[in-house]
Amino acid sequence: MTDEFDVEVDADDLTPMTDGEVVLGDPSVVVDDLHVTYRILGTRRKAVEAAPQGRMRKLVGRSLGSTGGVTEIHAVRGVSFVARHGESIGIVGTNGSGKSTTLQALAGLIQPSQGSVYVAGIPSLLGVSAVLVRKLTGARNIMIGGLALGLTKDEVEERFDEIVEFADIGDFVHLPMTTYSAGMAARLRFAISTAAVPDVLMIDEALATGDAAFRERSRQRVDEIRRQAGTVFVVSHSLASIKAMCTRAIWIDKGLVRMDGPAEDVTAAYHEHTRARSGPAKG
Amino acid sequence: MTTDATNDATAGMTPAEIAERYGLHQMGVRPGLREYVRSLWTRRDFMLVLARSRAEAENQNTYLGRVWDILNPTLNAAVYVLIFGLLLKTRDGMTNVIGFIVVGTFMYKFFQDSVTGAARAIPRNLNLVRSLHFPRAVLPISSVLAELAMLLPALAVMAGFVLVSDRWMLHLDSTPNWRWLLIVPAVLLLFMFSTGAGFVLARLGARWPDVLNFLPFVLRIGMYASGVIFSIDHYLAGGGVLATIMNYQPVAVYLNLARQAMLDEPSAQLSGELWLVGLAWAVVTLVVGFVIFWRDEARYGRD
Ligand SMILES: Nc1ncnc2c1ncn2[C@@H]1O[C@H](COP(=O)(O)OP(=O)(O)O)[C@@H](O)[C@H]1O
Ligand SMILES: [Mg+2]
Repeated sequence: MTDEFDVEVDADDLTPMTDGEVVLGDPSVVVDDLHVTYRILGTRRKAVEAAPQGRMRKLVGRSLGSTGGVTEIHAVRGVSFVARHGESIGIVGTNGSGKSTTLQALAGLIQPSQGSVYVAGIPSLLGVSAVLVRKLTGARNIMIGGLALGLTKDEVEERFDEIVEFADIGDFVHLPMTTYSAGMAARLRFAISTAAVPDVLMIDEALATGDAAFRERSRQRVDEIRRQAGTVFVVSHSLASIKAMCTRAIWIDKGLVRMDGPAEDVTAAYHEHTRARSGPAKG
Repeated sequence: MTTDATNDATAGMTPAEIAERYGLHQMGVRPGLREYVRSLWTRRDFMLVLARSRAEAENQNTYLGRVWDILNPTLNAAVYVLIFGLLLKTRDGMTNVIGFIVVGTFMYKFFQDSVTGAARAIPRNLNLVRSLHFPRAVLPISSVLAELAMLLPALAVMAGFVLVSDRWMLHLDSTPNWRWLLIVPAVLLLFMFSTGAGFVLARLGARWPDVLNFLPFVLRIGMYASGVIFSIDHYLAGGGVLATIMNYQPVAVYLNLARQAMLDEPSAQLSGELWLVGLAWAVVTLVVGFVIFWRDEARYGRD
């Protein structure tokens, strides 16, 4: 079994989302028949396959084996949806179903091989790697991240204290990020990316390393962003967090949208599916 | 199936029309050249901060810290003079051997470190590239800017070497003089040229990491082809096509311009023609390199 079905159901630490205050606005993200294909260069062929004869052939065969060969992985195969201002959308799906790839294409970090993505403003993606420049101090990373997100130097300086406080990293802010724990780095990164209300914020399993208190604070901030007409995408294996943070959910399966609807319904259906797939042994 | 009933407004519209109507922009496509330049200009603070960070991080984990800014070029110069000037005796055709070699090696080192840094600009900042959306040209530019920042203390060391060797070895009293100010435009032109060459290498380095392994060898050949430690004129005194190419190739031109500013060498006398050649190389390389880099904009950071 290659798929992972780790479905946490311990959302007691998350207060439920404040509903009904947000009126859905205009479209902020339009994804139209998105395809993404990874090309992997220099993939080594199996030794048996090459089966060279003679010393010369063997030499040539070996060098070709490590230089030629392109493997293509069709990771996303035709995803379409429209997201609106004020919406927070959970994305669920098994490992390798194409969630991260879709978000990277939304953030403009990966070129679609087919189809198109339209986005309002500067999108910000919080991925698994939370550190921007590892060798530099947290303070410098705050400045670099803020400027990259389109803030001015003054604006970053204005928000500096608030960022440090939200990330709760104290004096570590003046140390290189090599000294940070994964949780600290994730908190700082989240604080940087939400220092100004982003038009489109994407959180790809980036909250998993935070503690309960931080998860609650980040949930509140996501709510705030939504209320100020931002759009938030959340990838999480915790269906409880998705239910607590999101108004809508999209289930991506093998690179395609399998279901798109209210977070309650989609998470329920996904939960049902994973339970059925994991069999009676898991109950 | 979609949840909200507010879809009516966009019913029947194509995705492109929706995007157009609500002011969305397309991701994963290369922006127009003009728009690219404009977005780059709005990120100038970003470039400066990145450049400063890189320059500062250079000696961050040493006990002497910033002292290395001066110590490094001084030791470099001492080694070059010792090896090339005193042991290998490449001094034919030079007036001030020490000055000639120090100016040559310092300027070439700036060029070499600039293009090497630029070639690694994308792979080195992969975390940044994979998590934030900004004009990627920021990376090679700030990398060359960092080298420029590190060149400034080196220039002071260089001036010191020239001054001392002129006074105590050649008994010249003419230095320093106003001609030395020409080092500013000479460095500026070399900076423009290096940035242009850096753009090309940054694109190559992002696409084919093999380039990074190959580059040091090319740069070593370039060192001998640019008259860093010997006078091209002296060794190719007969003239001819080879001498012309060697003398007018960009790096040799910038070394010559720097020597025109700092020294009084027979092979580097003030020449307006050479300054124009240097300007032409700088502008053309910068513009062409920028366009070459921009053409791959949407693909940086992909495997
Ligand atoms: N950088 C990459 N190079 C090649 N293949 C990749 C890369 N990233 C992801 N993939 C492949 O694309 C598919 C989708 O991956 P991903 O988007 O990370 O899924 P998810 O985030 O849903 O777990 C997987 O089959 C994975 O192996
Ligand atoms: Mg993923």
